[in-house]
This record gives sequence, structure tokens and C-alpha cells, in this order.
Amino acid sequence: MSDQNIIEISGVEKRFGTFTAVSDLNLDLKKGEFFSLLGPSGCGKTTALRMIAGFQDNDKGSISIDGQDMADIPANKRPANMVFQSYAIFPHLNVGDNVAFGLRKLGLSKAEIKTRVAEALGMVELGGLETRKADELSGGQRQRVALARALVMRPKVLLLDEPLSALDKNLREAMQLEMRRLQQKLGITFVMVTHDQYEAMTMSDRIGVMFAGKLAQVDRPDVLYARPCNRQVASFIGGMNFLQARMVGDGGGQMDVDVQGFGKLTIGVNPNVEIHDTDLLVGVRPEQLEIGAEKPDGYDGYLQGEVSDVAFYGESVHYHIRAAGLDETLAVAVPNYFHTVDHQRGDTVWLGVQNASVIDLGAREHQ
Amino acid sequence: MPGVLKTETGKGLALSAPASLYVGLLVAAPLAILVAYSFWTQTYVAIDKTLTWANYIEAATDPLVRHLMLRSILIAGAVTLATVALAYPIAYFIAFRTQKKTLWLLLITIPFWSSYLLRVFSWKLILGFNGVMNSALLTTGAIDEPLTFLLYNEFAVVLTLAHAWAPFAILPIYVSLQKIDRAYLEAATDLGCNRLERFFRVTLPLTVPGIIAASLIIFIPTVGDYVTPSLVGGSQGKMIANLMQVQFGAANNWPLGATLSLVAMASVGAVAIGFVVITTALGRRIR
Repeated sequence: MSDQNIIEISGVEKRFGTFTAVSDLNLDLKKGEFFSLLGPSGCGKTTALRMIAGFQDNDKGSISIDGQDMADIPANKRPANMVFQSYAIFPHLNVGDNVAFGLRKLGLSKAEIKTRVAEALGMVELGGLETRKADELSGGQRQRVALARALVMRPKVLLLDEPLSALDKNLREAMQLEMRRLQQKLGITFVMVTHDQYEAMTMSDRIGVMFAGKLAQVDRPDVLYARPCNRQVASFIGGMNFLQARMVGDGGGQMDVDVQGFGKLTIGVNPNVEIHDTDLLVGVRPEQLEIGAEKPDGYDGYLQGEVSDVAFYGESVHYHIRAAGLDETLAVAVPNYFHTVDHQRGDTVWLGVQNASVIDLGAREHQ
Repeated sequence: MPGVLKTETGKGLALSAPASLYVGLLVAAPLAILVAYSFWTQTYVAIDKTLTWANYIEAATDPLVRHLMLRSILIAGAVTLATVALAYPIAYFIAFRTQKKTLWLLLITIPFWSSYLLRVFSWKLILGFNGVMNSALLTTGAIDEPLTFLLYNEFAVVLTLAHAWAPFAILPIYVSLQKIDRAYLEAATDLGCNRLERFFRVTLPLTVPGIIAASLIIFIPTVGDYVTPSLVGGSQGKMIANLMQVQFGAANNWPLGATLSLVAMASVGAVAIGFVVITTALGRRIR
């Protein structure tokens, strides 16, 4: 094993009857990183997390934590602790006793337990709430208690199962930043399962995207966004316009393509794509298309179309453009700079795109 | 008047009226009569309605009353303990270890399909001098002569009642086990507990309400039971209700019978409250 890796998962498979929840999972997690498993519900991400925790046995493959094979180590002996989706705050215990629950097994003195509980509660900004009853806590406080209860054990790995899904939007965003800060301060490896792409992107060092039990791509958030390996990953993370394209020439990490609607462009070859072909699929992020009543200057490809829909999001305006020769409308997101909505439904507009904005998604047949 | 039925309070009163009337007529009124009787005295042919503490003094000083009261509470306590202890594993099995919950719950209620008296008589047949148990043991040669300690004593009362009450203990404990979020158990495991520690630190304290409910449902009626002790209890299995029955029947001393009932009620109430307080406190001490 490498000194850099805290968790090494190789060839792990899990079946429930005839259903394969996780297949051929290979993943190395680095010490001190914030890693997210992202995917739609039922993709196997929670099963993967539960196998790391030891709540589920893997049928094939091996999982090791800090160089130690976990095959014969039960959940209660693993150097990992978990924050549950429902938080699982023991209702018969107060906040202090909830946090002290795991410590009482370690043979520490009463004073030591008290200090560590206070320290952990301070860390999640619940200092002094030891005697608060479990049913008197708000959703955000429950989340913090769950976090403190796991962190007080000083685990090598903290596992988080959809930790923020039960919170409302504002609280969730505040907790995202706070958890990220806490993780960086403590330097503990966090492994989070989530179906929320924004949560995964704002918090993680790396994200593993899972579909139907398989890991599709593992990368930094910015790389996932810029170089998704296929259509599935591209559409799961952020918005994306998909266009058909034809390869007309390639060389030196670049290729010349004829993109539906926009014409000839020269785009970078996406190293994450497995299979290329002359029939390609390419993508353009909505915010990377330029829109104007007049033909804008300085773009590599142009297209003229008609506005079919306008959606006002507050921080941005989304236009949907229908153009001749395209099967689907193109989405364009324009930041709301001056409190104006410049185009109306039925207007004729120009779209401009740069070579660098067009993402190669590989052979169209292999999506 | 139609306006009254539209307010929340009005609706509540209207809905509870039939039950209130029923309870008032059939519980509160007889209880008041019982209290009144307990302060009167029986002369040979009539009731002397002069208010007096005489019955209470007699109940307090008569060693037989004290003895039977204490025995009733001890037997009821033993029955409660035995029933809850035997019911807990069954409830646990149904809640956690089987998918066929409905089937098991149905099976548990099957004894109720036959009359209670019939079940008590069955125990007589099983435990008797020439009963099933003795015959079986004699045939296999395990014993040379029939065992006599099986029937007509406290043990027989406890055994019969523990069997009769089993569903009343299983159901409330099952409900409280069923309510436990499985994530609590996983959290306990995650925090280092093995199965046994997890049971004592999480499962058991979370089922304290079910244990209390089961205990009260069994303890309270058992103290006042008189059918079972008269059928299988023999002379050393007699309980306070048997004495009450004598007062209201053969002895024809209703005032003393009323007093005994009230004293029994008060004792049971005190023991039950004490039990609830202590059990709740013990549950809270588990951390």
C-alpha cells in the first residue's frame, strides 16, 4: 500500500439476491482528503459506504483502512466512525451522554471524558449544551451532535451518509462550509455520500461519480465539470447542452470537428474519454454560450436561433434557443449583471461559442 | 346549542360524553358506594351506617390481612417478573429476527381463543398428582413416586398466571422494540459496542416504557385475582382476593370486604407508582 492512502478498495462487489448493488469497485482514498461519492439514488453509493463502515460484508474484493485488511474486523472495531443520515441521536440520552457514548468504552477517566466531550462540542459550536435533551434539538443541532459524537472518537476516517439532506437550504449551505473548514482543520479523511452535485462540488477535494453500481469517474470537482468522461456524468454535474459532431481531423491533443449547428471548430481531446470515433458527442455548458441580438465578435462558432423560453433564476437568466438543424433546444445562462432580461420569447438571437468551451464526450455510440 | 358543537371544546365534550357517562355510572358510582361501605359496620342483620374507622383498624391489625396482602403482592411481583422475563426474548425475536411478524403475533394470541378457566384447568391436569407431568416422569423412570410440590402452592399460581398473561407482556414490549430506529443500533455498533453492550445501553433503555406497560398490565390485575389461587393455589396459595370474596360471600361482612378492597387498591397503587418511578430512574441511569 501507499503511505498516502488511508482507504484502499479493490475489486469490491456486493449483491442482494440477483441485484448487484456495487460491482468491481476500485478506489484509493488519500489521507486527509474530503472525498464524495456522488450519484442518483440506488446507484450503490450508500452500500459502498456501509461496506467501509462494516455494516455490510462485501461479496468480493477487499477493503483496507490504514493498511489493515478489514475482512475480519467487525464494524465496532473499525477505525472509522459514521454520521448517519437520520443522525441517530440516542433519544434516551442528553447531548453530553450522546457524545460520550463511544468514549465510555475506552476506559478513560471521568474528567478525561468530560474534557473530550466539551472539546468535541466546542468544535461543532455547541459548547455548553451537554445537558440539553435530545428531543430539544433543532435539525442543525442534531447534525452537529452527530458530527461531534463521531469526531470525539478521533477516527482515521469519518463516514458521512447524506449528512445534510435533512436540513433546509440556507442551513445546508452554511453547514457545507463549516464541515469543510472542520475537515481541513482536523485533517481527518471524510468520505461523504450525497446525491447533491453542488454539495459534492463545494465540499470535496475529489468526487467519485457512481451509476448503477459502477464508479464512472473519479476526479477533482473542476476536472469533472470541465472534462466529464461521458454524457451521463456530464448531465449529472451541472447543466449541459449536447450536440452531435463529426471528427474531420486530429493530431497533437486537438481535433477538428464539425459541430451540429455551429460548424467547424477545433477542440481539445478529452483524456477521460475511453472511446473516440468519427461520430462524436460534444457538450457546451449553458453559461459558456454567448447570446446577443447582434452577431457577437470574437467567437469561433456561431448559430442563429429563436428564443423559445425564458426562465428567470434571480442570479441568472436562462434562455432556451431553438435553431434549425438541432433536435433539442440549447440552454444559455446569462448572469444577471444589470437587472435586465434582454431577450423575449420569439426574438431572433445569435449564439457564439469558443473552441475551449466545447467538451469532447467521445464516441456517440458508447454513451 | 348548535354553536357549542362547533367549538373544539364542545366537540371534545360531545365525543367523550358517552364514555364519561359509562365510566361515571359503572366505575365512579360503585367506587363511591365501596368507600361509603368501608366506613359502615355490619351488625348481624343490618348495616350500621354510623361512620367509623373500625374496619380500617381491623384490616391494619389483623395479621391474616397483612400476611395475605404481602403474599398477593409478592406472588403478583413474581408473576410479573417471570412473565416479562419470558416475554422479552419472544418480543425481541418477533421484532428483530423474523419477517413473519403477523403470523407470530397471531400465534401468540391463540391461547386466548379458549376460555381462561379451561386453561387453568389444563394446568391442573398437567401439574396434578396423577397429571401429565408426573405420569411422564414416572414412565421415564425419572422419579419413583409422584411429585406433590407441583400443584396447590404459590409456584402453581405463578406458572399458571405467567402463561395466561404472556401475550399482555409480549405485545407492549414488541411495540416498543419495533419502534426503535435501526440506525440507533448501528450507531451504537459504530461507536464500539458489541451486541451485548448495545442491548444493555440502547435497546433495553429504549424499551423501558414497554416493560413498564407490560408490568402494570400484569401486576395490577394479578394482585386482585382470585380464580387462579382458588383453583391451583391450595391453602398456601391463597391471596387477598380470596379473603375479600369470603367477606362479600360466606362471612357476609360487606363493610370489611369493601375496606379490604380499598386497602388492596391503595397498596397496589403505591407499589405500582414506586415501580414506575424506580424503573424510570434506573432506565435514565444507563448511559
